[in-house]
Amino acid sequence: MAIDKKMKILIVDDFSTMRRIIKNLLRDLGFTNTDEADDGTTALPMLQTGKFDFLVTDWNMPGMQGIDLLKHVRADEKLSSMPVLMVTAEQKREQIVEAAQAGVNGYIVKPFTAQTLKEKLDKIFERIDG
Amino acid sequence: MEQENNLLSTESIDVVKNLLASMEAGDLQKSQDFLDELTEIRESDMYQEIGKLTRELHDSINTFGLDDRLTDMASDEFPDARQRLAHVITMTDEAANNTLTAVEESMPLCDHLISKTTSIKNEWQRFSNREITLAEFKKLSEELKIYFEENSSSAAKINEHLNNVLMAQGFQDLTSQIIKRVISLVEEVETSMVNIIQLAGTKTKDSPDSKVDDSGLDGPVVPGLESSGTVSGQDEVDDLLSSLGF
Repeated sequence: MAIDKKMKILIVDDFSTMRRIIKNLLRDLGFTNTDEADDGTTALPMLQTGKFDFLVTDWNMPGMQGIDLLKHVRADEKLSSMPVLMVTAEQKREQIVEAAQAGVNGYIVKPFTAQTLKEKLDKIFERIDG
Repeated sequence: MEQENNLLSTESIDVVKNLLASMEAGDLQKSQDFLDELTEIRESDMYQEIGKLTRELHDSINTFGLDDRLTDMASDEFPDARQRLAHVITMTDEAANNTLTAVEESMPLCDHLISKTTSIKNEWQRFSNREITLAEFKKLSEELKIYFEENSSSAAKINEHLNNVLMAQGFQDLTSQIIKRVISLVEEVETSMVNIIQLAGTKTKDSPDSKVDDSGLDGPVVPGLESSGTVSGQDEVDDLLSSLGF
């Protein structure tokens, strides 16, 4: 299975430390083409440029939250099929269900491990290929 | 108070006039009756005033008691905040220890690589200068083979340690989320204290209706704190999602 490691990934989190962690983990997995945004309001216009292939987003952010960003992405004709991985500290069942219903492709709770990130990415790509 | 004071009403004045007339007429019985009537008017004023004060006191106590947020804060949110802050200590402690362990385990690997490289570099120099015997070359060749193997396994280990350092930094995001909630609780207490002071000084003021953390999200789960309806980790998230067909 060939995963395009050149795909452009947008990392959205209000904490720069977490963005750096995710960016470095992705780089370790071979994904070097990443960009960052600090909340949904900043992220959405970036996504709408059509330059991104994958979205990794936090939930709880000032401005537009991750769940709303996800809903906007799914509602946007050009972005609707973009894989979205949520990486968040929110672990209420109803929230996970809400994210699933909104069309999230993967859900990781913080604190997470590098292994978890790899597994979820692999799973997402597996499903897309299959 | 002035309006409710019946002492200066025409009725009262009439009673006083009648009282004076009966006293001048030497009618003791009538004088006493009018005096009683006057006292009654006086007392009814007093009772009204006491009633009013009682009502105000009652209202004040009610306003005070209605401020459930204060009770909530004292009974639930302060112990919660203590536990949250204790969890912050645990998380920063873990992060620091994980980082230190990774550094401590990486350093000897680096030291070993440096000393090995230096020794092999010297031998290699001798080889380049053709100062080396065949037996020594065989030994160098063997050393190089081991060196290459060690090198790649040490680099992999160091890489793993660096990744652990990287992951340990996640504490910053999570502890900040927890501390932010405690800060908003402290702010709310401050507002409530100001309101209590205003209540004591100028009687009533509307109680604040703010809530800790207006995002409406729960943030990181703190061990030991009641958190109904939450999952305890990634495995449960995966189970829940797979039950939803993921």
